[in-house]
Amino acid sequence: MIRGLFFVADGGDSLRERLEEIKAEVSQAINDGAHIIVLSDRDADAEEAPIPSLLLTSAVHHHLIREKTRTKVGLVIEAGDVREVHHVALLIGYGAAAVNPYLAMETAEDLVLQGVITGITPEKAVRNLIKSLGKGVLKVMSKMGISTIASYTGAQVFEAIGLSQELVDEYFVGTTSRLGGVNLDVIAQETIARHHIAYPPGGAIPGTKRLPIGGEYQWRREGEPHLFDPETVFTLQHSTRNKRYDVFKRYTDRVNDQSTRLMTLRGLFGFNEGVRPAISIDEVESASEIIKRFSTGAMSYGSISQEAHETLAIAMNRLGGKSNTGEGGEDPERYLKMASGDSKRSAIKQVASGRFGVTSDYLVNSDDIQIKIAQGAKPGEGGQLPGNKVYPWIAKVRYSTPGVGLISPPPHHDIYSIEDLAQLIHDLKNANKNARVHVKLVAEVGVGTVAAGVSKAHADVVLISGHDGGTGASPLTSLKHAGAPWELGLAETQQTLLLNNLRDRIVVQADGQLKTGRDVAIAALLGAEEFGFATAPLVVSGCIMMRVCHLDTCPVGVATQNPELRKRFTGKPEFVETFFEYIAEEVREILASLGFKTLLEAVGHVEFLDTKRAVDHWKASGLDLSPLLTRPDVTSPLHNTSAQDHGLDAALDNQLISLSDAALKNKELVRIDLPVRNVNRTVGTMLGAEITRKHGGAGLPDDTIDVTLHGSAGQSLGAFIPRGLTIRLYGDSNDYVGKGISGGRIIVRPDEKSTFNSFENVIAGNVIGYGATSGQIMIRGVVGERFCVRNSGATAIVEGIGDHGCEYMTGGSVVVLGRTGRNFAAGMSGGRAFVLDLDPANVNTDMVDILALPEDQKEILRSLISDFAEETGSVVASELIKDWDSAIKRISLVMPRDYARVLDAMARATREGLPVDALVMEVAVNG
Amino acid sequence: MADPKGFMTTERETPTRRPVDVRIQDWREVYEPQSFEHLQKQAGRCMDCGIPFCHSGCPLGNLIPEWNDLIWRGDKTEAINRLHATNNFPEFTGRLCPAPCETACVVAINRDAVTIKQVELRTIEEAFDNGEVKPLAPDRITGKTVAVIGSGPAGLAAAQQLTRAGHTVAVYERADKIGGLLRYGIPEFKMEKHILDRRLVQMEKEGTRFRAGVDVGVELTGADLRKKYDAIVLAVGATKWRDLPIPGREFKGVYQAMEFLPWGNKQALGEIEVSPINVAGKHVVILGGGDTGADCLGTSIRQGAASITQLEIMPRPSDERPDSQPWPTYPMIYRVSSAHEEIDNRMFSVSTEEFLGDAEGNLRAIRIVETRFENGKFEPVEKSHKEIRADFVFLALGFTGPEQSDLISQLEVKLDDRGIIARNADFETSEEGIFVAGDAGRGQSLIVWAIAEGRSAAAAVDKYLTGETQLPSPIEPTTRQLMV
Repeated sequence: MIRGLFFVADGGDSLRERLEEIKAEVSQAINDGAHIIVLSDRDADAEEAPIPSLLLTSAVHHHLIREKTRTKVGLVIEAGDVREVHHVALLIGYGAAAVNPYLAMETAEDLVLQGVITGITPEKAVRNLIKSLGKGVLKVMSKMGISTIASYTGAQVFEAIGLSQELVDEYFVGTTSRLGGVNLDVIAQETIARHHIAYPPGGAIPGTKRLPIGGEYQWRREGEPHLFDPETVFTLQHSTRNKRYDVFKRYTDRVNDQSTRLMTLRGLFGFNEGVRPAISIDEVESASEIIKRFSTGAMSYGSISQEAHETLAIAMNRLGGKSNTGEGGEDPERYLKMASGDSKRSAIKQVASGRFGVTSDYLVNSDDIQIKIAQGAKPGEGGQLPGNKVYPWIAKVRYSTPGVGLISPPPHHDIYSIEDLAQLIHDLKNANKNARVHVKLVAEVGVGTVAAGVSKAHADVVLISGHDGGTGASPLTSLKHAGAPWELGLAETQQTLLLNNLRDRIVVQADGQLKTGRDVAIAALLGAEEFGFATAPLVVSGCIMMRVCHLDTCPVGVATQNPELRKRFTGKPEFVETFFEYIAEEVREILASLGFKTLLEAVGHVEFLDTKRAVDHWKASGLDLSPLLTRPDVTSPLHNTSAQDHGLDAALDNQLISLSDAALKNKELVRIDLPVRNVNRTVGTMLGAEITRKHGGAGLPDDTIDVTLHGSAGQSLGAFIPRGLTIRLYGDSNDYVGKGISGGRIIVRPDEKSTFNSFENVIAGNVIGYGATSGQIMIRGVVGERFCVRNSGATAIVEGIGDHGCEYMTGGSVVVLGRTGRNFAAGMSGGRAFVLDLDPANVNTDMVDILALPEDQKEILRSLISDFAEETGSVVASELIKDWDSAIKRISLVMPRDYARVLDAMARATREGLPVDALVMEVAVNG
Repeated sequence: MADPKGFMTTERETPTRRPVDVRIQDWREVYEPQSFEHLQKQAGRCMDCGIPFCHSGCPLGNLIPEWNDLIWRGDKTEAINRLHATNNFPEFTGRLCPAPCETACVVAINRDAVTIKQVELRTIEEAFDNGEVKPLAPDRITGKTVAVIGSGPAGLAAAQQLTRAGHTVAVYERADKIGGLLRYGIPEFKMEKHILDRRLVQMEKEGTRFRAGVDVGVELTGADLRKKYDAIVLAVGATKWRDLPIPGREFKGVYQAMEFLPWGNKQALGEIEVSPINVAGKHVVILGGGDTGADCLGTSIRQGAASITQLEIMPRPSDERPDSQPWPTYPMIYRVSSAHEEIDNRMFSVSTEEFLGDAEGNLRAIRIVETRFENGKFEPVEKSHKEIRADFVFLALGFTGPEQSDLISQLEVKLDDRGIIARNADFETSEEGIFVAGDAGRGQSLIVWAIAEGRSAAAAVDKYLTGETQLPSPIEPTTRQLMV
C-alpha cells in the first residue's frame, strides 16, 4: 500500500518530490516481494492533498517500465477522484489492473441513505455504479476496436491536449501531445485549488455551498463556460430573426472572445494582418459566392422534426448552399418542387451504417452523397434514435418499425478496410454519377493518413469533423473526451494531403461548432474550402439547448416528433438565410483585412494565423500551437483544382444502358445476355440510376429490363437497383450482391455446367443485401457472412448463410433453406426470417422469438419457395414443395418481439376502428 | 430532473389572492395558502433546461432547476440549503421580486412560465415553519471590523455574508428601525414586517450588530467610521427622489410617495392610530405608474380614500410581450398588481401641467393633458386639457441616486456622472477600504439586484481584508440585465 498524497504547503515541488518517493517505495516493495501494489489517496487531510490518480498511476507505471519490473506487480488504484467511465478507462489505459472508486461508491451509498435516490438499497446502488462503470469501459473499448481488457491495459490509446512535453516524457511516456501545455506545477496548483474548497485556508464559511455546482453538461453561471450560453443563444436568435447585424456582432464578439475562457484552440489564434495589404471590402467576392461553400450538418429527420429539417433545407436551397439529410432517409415527396418555388430537398444525402432509407431514388436525388464513417458528437458510435421518437411517419421514411429504437451499427458492414471504402465510394458514384461522394471523418491523431487514403480511394470530398459536434442525444461517455478539435485534424489533413500530392484532387470540408465568420476564416486558413454548421442554424431555428433530444420533449418543436410540441416550432427559412448571410459578411470583412479577394484564395495560408496572441491565463502559458501552422514545402496547389477519376467510362453499365434504350425511353421490354467478369464491379447500378432518373422512385414494371449474365461477377452486383431491372447471373459472385437493392430483382444460380450440389457450396460472398429496402434476391447456393444486415424491405431467399445473418434487420423477409451461422437475428427489430431446420443455438434471442410457422404465413411462404425453385432450379426448394406438409414442420419463423407487438396493435386498431398511429405509439412505447 | 413531461401535462397556477372586499379591510398579505402538493406539481413543470435561462435571468444566480427538482421530490431541507446558498433572503425576494427568472423561463417561450417565485417563497416559509432557519455563526473571528451603512437588502446581505466570514459587522440605519426600504418602503400588504424581524433575529444571533437611529455623517462622522472600522460598505440606497417642479408644487397635499408610505406602515402596525397624511374620504391622485405608485394605491385604498386615480406619462403597455423586448428579456407589459385588482383607475399617456389650490393653499385639483410621444419627447395633445379633483397627490416618479449627504462628502468618495457612487471592478469606491453596494452604486434597481450587490461586495471586502475569499460573488459592478 503506497500513499498517494502530497503536502499542499509546498506546491509543485512537494508533488514532484512525493512522486519520486513513491517510485522508490514501489521499487522497494517489489524488492521485498510484493506482487500487488495498492496506490491509495485515502486519508487526505488539511495538510495533504491527493495526487491526481492518473498522474500517480502513470508515473508508477512508467517508472516500473523503465526499471524493467513492470510485469512483476499488478497496480490497484484506490482513488477518490474516479467517478466517470472516462476516468476508469484512463487508469486502465495507463496501467491499472484494478480500480477502487471508493468515493463514488460512498457517494452512491450516501445518496440512497439520504433519500435522494429512492427505490433501491445502498448495496444495489453501489453495484449498479460499478456495473455501469464496467459497461462504460467495455463500450469505450469497443469504440476503439479492442476486445479484451488485457489488450486495453496500458495501451495508452489516448491523445493529450494541453500537457507539456516535459511532463509527458516523464510521466506519460509515448502519449501524443501535439501542442505542449501545462507542467507539474500547474497540475499541483489546480489540485491545491480544489483542496482549498475542501479545506478553506480561512476556515469554512457557514451558509455557503458545500460543493461547486459543476456545469459540465448543463450550463451554470459559476460552472464550466459553454460557447452557447444565455447571452449567445439570445443574441443569435434575436439578430437573425430581426435582421440586426449589430446584435449579431454582439453574438460573435462573445463567442470569439475567449481570452479569459479558453474554450477552443481557435480561440487562441490571431490573424496576421499586414502580410498582404488590406483591400476594400468591395473587392471581395460576394456573400452569395461564399455561402455556396456552406452546408448544414447531418441531423436526421427523426432526431429533429419535419418542420426543423425542412426549414434548413428550404433555406439552404434558396441560398445555394447545401442541407444534409442526416442518416434518417428522406420522404420522396421532398424531391418535388413546392408550389412556392422552394425546394425541401436536401442536397447532401447521407449514407451511414444504418442505411436508413438509402434507395436508388434517394441517391439519384442528391448533389452530394456523404458516407459517414464517424461523427464528431460521438466518435466510434452509430446514430441512435430512441423508440419514443420513432413515430409511424419516421418509421416509414426509415423503413423500420414504429416505436422501436434504432441504433446504427458502429461500423459500416460493407467497410472493413480502405479497399472496401473505395468500393462503396465507387458504388455510390455509380448510383449517381453527377453527385460528389464525401467521406466524413472525425478529427483525431492519424486522421491525416486516413484522409490521404480517402483521397486515394477517389472520394470527391473529405470532411473533418471536430469532436465537439453537438447532439443532445449522445451518450455522455461520447460527449466528452472523445475525438479531437477540428483545428488539429484539419491541420494534419492538409499537411498530409499536401505532402502526398493528394490535395489538389479532393475538397476538404470542416465542421464542428462553427459559429462565427472568424471560425470560418480560421478553418479556411488551416486548409478547408467548405464549411458545415449544425448547432448554430438549429439555434437560429429556435433550439435553446435543452439537451433533452432523446426524451422527445423538446419544448420548441425542434428535436421532437410529438405533434403537439411540433406546433411550437417557430423557425423560418428566412432566419437561417440571415444567419448565413451574416456569417458570410463577417468572412468578407476578415478577407478584406487580410487582403484576399476570395475565400478560395485564403485556403491553406496558415502563415496568416498568429499563435503569439497573448493569452493571459495561467493554464495556457505552456501551449505551443506552431505545429498547426506548419506548411509543407511543396509547390502544389493548396486547394482542390481537379476532379477524381472514378473510372466509370470502363463500366459494363455503359453497354447495358445503351442496350436498354427502348426500355428507358418507351418502357419497352428489353432482354440482354452478356458475359461478366470479376473486373466488372457494381454491375447494373448505373443502369438502375438511369431508370430512377427517368421514371422516378417507382421505377418500371418488374422485369422490364431483364439482364442475363454468365460468369463470375465482381463486387456489388446489382447494388441499389430499382424496380424494373432484373439481373440473372449464371455463375458466381463476389461480395455485396444486391447491396441497397431498392425494387430490382437479382437471381443467382450456379453455372449450368456445374456439377456440385448448390446447397453445399458457396456461390456468393459476404454482406449480401446489406441495407436493402425493397426488391428480391434469390440465390441458389450458400453465401457468406452478414447476410441481409439492415434489410428493411426486400425479400431474400438462399440455401445457407454464414454468421450474423439478418442482423439489425427492420423489415422484409428472409428465407434460409439451409444452415445459418452464429448470432442470427441479433438486433433484429422488424421483418420475418424463415429458416429450415433451424438450430436455435445459432439464434441471438435478445430481440426475437422462435416460432412455429403460423397459419397465415404458410401460403405466402409456399409460393415464394416455389418461385425460387422455378427461377433458380433449386433442388432443395423443389423437394420441399413436393412434400409441403412435412416441410412446414421443418421451417421455423424468427420473429422480432417488438415487430409482433406493433403488428398486433395495427390489427387491433383496424378491427376496433381506433387511430392506428396513436395506438401503435402507445403500444410501442408503453408495451 | 423534475417531471420530464410536467410542462406538457400541467398548467401554471399561482395561489389565489384573498377576495378584494375582505383584504382591503386589513393590512395583511393578500395571498391565500396553497397546498404543498399543488406546489410540487407546479415545480414539476420545470424542464431542467440545458441552458437554464431563469438561472441567468436571476442576478443572484439562484439554482432554480435544482430546487425546483428538490421541491418536486419533496426534499424541503436540501431545497432550502440550495436556495440559501445563493440568496440570503428568499422570503423577501419571494414576495417582492418582479421575477426576471420567470420572464426568462424557457417554458415561457410559448406557454406560461414555471411559478419560480412561488416555489422560492414556499421553500423558505416551510424552512422557517420547520425550524430549519438557524443562525449560522462563524467558526472563528478574524478580528476585522466592518461598518455597513444602510440596512436595506443590499446592506443586510453584505452584513450577513461578512459576519459569517468571521468579521465583526455593525449595520447603521438612520431610521428608528432596521430594514431600510423593506421596513418603510414596502407596504404591509406586500410583506408583513414580522417577516423582516424574524430574519433580523437570525442575523443578530449570528453576531451582526444593528445600530438603528444613528444618522451617520451627523452623529458619527466619516472620520470616526474610518478610525473605528477596517472597511466600510456604503449601502445607502438611491433615495433621492425625482420631483415635479411645476406650478402649484407648494400646495399642501402634494407629497412624495416616500413621505406617505412610511406613515402607512406605522399605521398598519398599530404604532400610530392615524397617519399624519391620512387620505380617508379624500380624493387621491398618484403620479407614476410603477411599483411605488401601486404601493401608494394599496395604502390609500386601505386608508379609505374616496377616489384614487393613477397617472402615467407613458402609453399603456401591451398585454403581450412586444417584439422589441423578446424572450428572455424582462419586458414592459401591462401588469395588474394586487392593488390594481382592488381599484384600477389608471390613465396612460397623460402629463400633469399644474397643481391647483384653494385660497388656504390646499390642493384641490390638478390639470392634466394627454401626451403623444413624438421626435423623442412627449408632446401635449391640443385641446385635451382636463382637471381632476385631488386632495392629495403622491409623486411616485422614481429615484435618481443617493442623497448628497454629509457622510458622502466626509468620506470624500467620488460620484460618477450619473450621480451615483463611483466604484471599480471590486465594488471599491475612490477611497481605499470604502465599498459600495446596492442602489447607491448601481442606481435604482430591484431588490434581487440589491441582494446580489450585497453578496458580491461582501466577497470583495473579505478579499480586501484577508487577501482571499471563499464568499461567492454572483455579479460584477457592471453586470446588467440581458437586453436587446
